[in-house]
Amino acid sequence: MISLSDLDTEYAGRKAPLFRLVLGASVLTVLTLGFYRFWMKTRLRRYYWSAIRPGGLSLEYVGRGSEKLLGFLIAVVFLAFYIGIVNLILVFFSFSVLDGPGAAYAMSFVGIIPLVFFARYRARRYILARTRWRGIRMGLEPGAWGYSWRAMMHWTLAILTLGVLWPRATFWLEKYRTDRTWFGDLRLTQGGRWTMLYRPFRHFLVPWIVSLAVVAAALAGGDLRLLLLLVLTVPWTIFGIFHYLVQSFRILAEAKTADGVEFKAAPRTGRIIGIYALGLTLAYSSTTALVAVAGVLLFALFNLSGLPHDLLTEMFSRVTVAGWLMAAASIVAYFAIFIAYGAFYQIFVTMPVIGHYAETLTIGGRARLNKVRQRRRDEFAEADGFAEALDLGAAI
Amino acid sequence: MSRADSQDNPPTLSIFADYFDGVSARVQRVAVSLAGDQTAALEIGPPEGEAFEWPLDRLRALPDQAHKSSLTLGRSDDPLARLVITDPAAIAMLRRRCSTLSARAPVTGLGRLIGWGAGAVASVALIIGVLIPLMANQLAQLLPPEGEKALGDATFEQVRQALGQQGAAALRVCDGPKGAAALKLMQARLTDGLDLPYPLTVRVLQGEPVNAFALPGGYIVFFDGLFAAANSPDEVAAVMAHELGHVVARDPTRIALRSAGSIGVLGLLFGDFAGGGIALLLAERLVQANYTQAAEAAADRFAYDRLRGAGLRPDALAALFKTLKAQNPGAEAGGIVSHFSSHPALGDRIAAAEAASAGLSAARQPALTKAQWRALKGICRE
Ligand SMILES: [Zn+2]
Repeated sequence: MISLSDLDTEYAGRKAPLFRLVLGASVLTVLTLGFYRFWMKTRLRRYYWSAIRPGGLSLEYVGRGSEKLLGFLIAVVFLAFYIGIVNLILVFFSFSVLDGPGAAYAMSFVGIIPLVFFARYRARRYILARTRWRGIRMGLEPGAWGYSWRAMMHWTLAILTLGVLWPRATFWLEKYRTDRTWFGDLRLTQGGRWTMLYRPFRHFLVPWIVSLAVVAAALAGGDLRLLLLLVLTVPWTIFGIFHYLVQSFRILAEAKTADGVEFKAAPRTGRIIGIYALGLTLAYSSTTALVAVAGVLLFALFNLSGLPHDLLTEMFSRVTVAGWLMAAASIVAYFAIFIAYGAFYQIFVTMPVIGHYAETLTIGGRARLNKVRQRRRDEFAEADGFAEALDLGAAI
Repeated sequence: MSRADSQDNPPTLSIFADYFDGVSARVQRVAVSLAGDQTAALEIGPPEGEAFEWPLDRLRALPDQAHKSSLTLGRSDDPLARLVITDPAAIAMLRRRCSTLSARAPVTGLGRLIGWGAGAVASVALIIGVLIPLMANQLAQLLPPEGEKALGDATFEQVRQALGQQGAAALRVCDGPKGAAALKLMQARLTDGLDLPYPLTVRVLQGEPVNAFALPGGYIVFFDGLFAAANSPDEVAAVMAHELGHVVARDPTRIALRSAGSIGVLGLLFGDFAGGGIALLLAERLVQANYTQAAEAAADRFAYDRLRGAGLRPDALAALFKTLKAQNPGAEAGGIVSHFSSHPALGDRIAAAEAASAGLSAARQPALTKAQWRALKGICRE
């Protein structure tokens, strides 16, 4: 129920300032051989957090670039040891026992998965510890290894059941995280049951099972025309994945409570799919257009310079200063394309997606919120270093 | 919201703002005032309790904020308390009067950062430079011959793929029947009476580099560029004998295992950025294998024995070096010169090879007949 005292969420993200921020920070990242990325991530989070304003009051991100760099260094020390030694032993065993590299690749991949879940939980703990709202810190209790082995079990089960138990994994892992999440001295609780997620999950499960059955039947020597059904079921499955991801967020959010504080979420699957479809198109076409414009400008520049083409070609083909300039220009162009695409992706996809989730979120329980008291700072020197080192962080 | 400008104190400020004390989540609507030019602090009056001051030189605006019509202030000496001002005139005035508003917080824990940075570099160096080689040496001894052969097959394909033109097909393996027969003959002559745990696999790759290298599991690989540069088949035989020395000592197996460990670590450090670059690096490393000085010397000694046993002169190796030096004077880098010149100085090795031939008469029978030598040189054109 929405009452007058509920806190609606405003969204203050704007394309132009975010674009400038991403562009500038990306250039610095390239110029510093990647080291600025810790500060870039920090600045992006500051921007996105401050754009989310439940009850008209911005979230605040207080993490720092230097602590992320430190966390990365700490993670590198541990991971270099783990990955180096484990890889070596796996390659040895795979060749000495199984006469081939296949097992080593598979096992080194499997060997990294527990670390991935571990790193995700630790990253979340760091991010929440550096997130404030109304001056009050959020927090996540320690428990990364507990999360890691649970995640392994749940996902193994989900995979063994061909995805049928995916909602069970979603629910229990979300419950593990939520039940350890705090806003000041207020603890969150994930209510509900895992079966409640099957309502949106049907849109994935039905076409998915039908697709599997059709392929199995065709493989077993059935009528190959059955495969035509895939034209219908595959797009439906893809829609189903989006629908499930968006709606399970909604259902899980609405089943969270914290001593009288409640959440109402209303994200729409269609809107999210629309943002991705339009956003990706815009990001690709804008980058392409930029490349085309740059190409035309370069061409015009050469033409205007009045030199015959043969001479230019000859000039550039030699290993001269011009040749080096050309090489430098192509490196710059290479990075420029990535930077431009990254910036367009942020403004056309990431920002609207976060915006939609934010704007459709309402928080109830104003009176209880006013009574929340501060929690102690979680120092956590390692920050999100493991996630950074394992390349899980994505853009923000 | 009200602003009162009195006559004798020009710009004054008197507004309401949201205040968070960092202790409770309660939003406090506070009266904020700044009287005249002389005052150096904001006076903040909470709804209940006593008023307090925020010195202007300690005010800091939060950076990178999305919401442009409000200004969120903190204090340089208080990490928690926040004051959110929405009055446009007040924001403009504070921005004008507080030069330190956008000052950055000092970097803290720099020593710790440098310490961990040094620690990270040192531990990665230790892992790549000491721990992994140590383990690789041990494991290379334990790897059964079949495993070594499989490792060799895999690395040979990797090297072919990585050294081929970017995006194009892998390097071509030359197998002209006459040339291959000649190579087989040379191999038989050098391995006569030698007990290897696996059959020797000699391959020729089409390519200009004047180079040859050994891979795990009994692989010896030549580029046909070496045949073009060599003056006599004896020189090629000398190179083969040297590589055979590496095979017998399992040197390439050590290197391959070492790379398998290092590659994951390097991938970790450079992330996706380097991507295929690392695979190329690995291939280069195998081809330009930098064995230890002791390993090279042992391979050389092995080669002298084999060559003498086959009725060939060890100084054929010296002759090849001299030819190469003559062909590109001053060029020490690249291909076989860099492999063979790696540790013991090239001059020393030329001298050693010549010393090992002292007292030997001219080769009783060259490594290959003229026709066979022609066939070997043309192995990629048959
Ligand atoms: Zn050697």
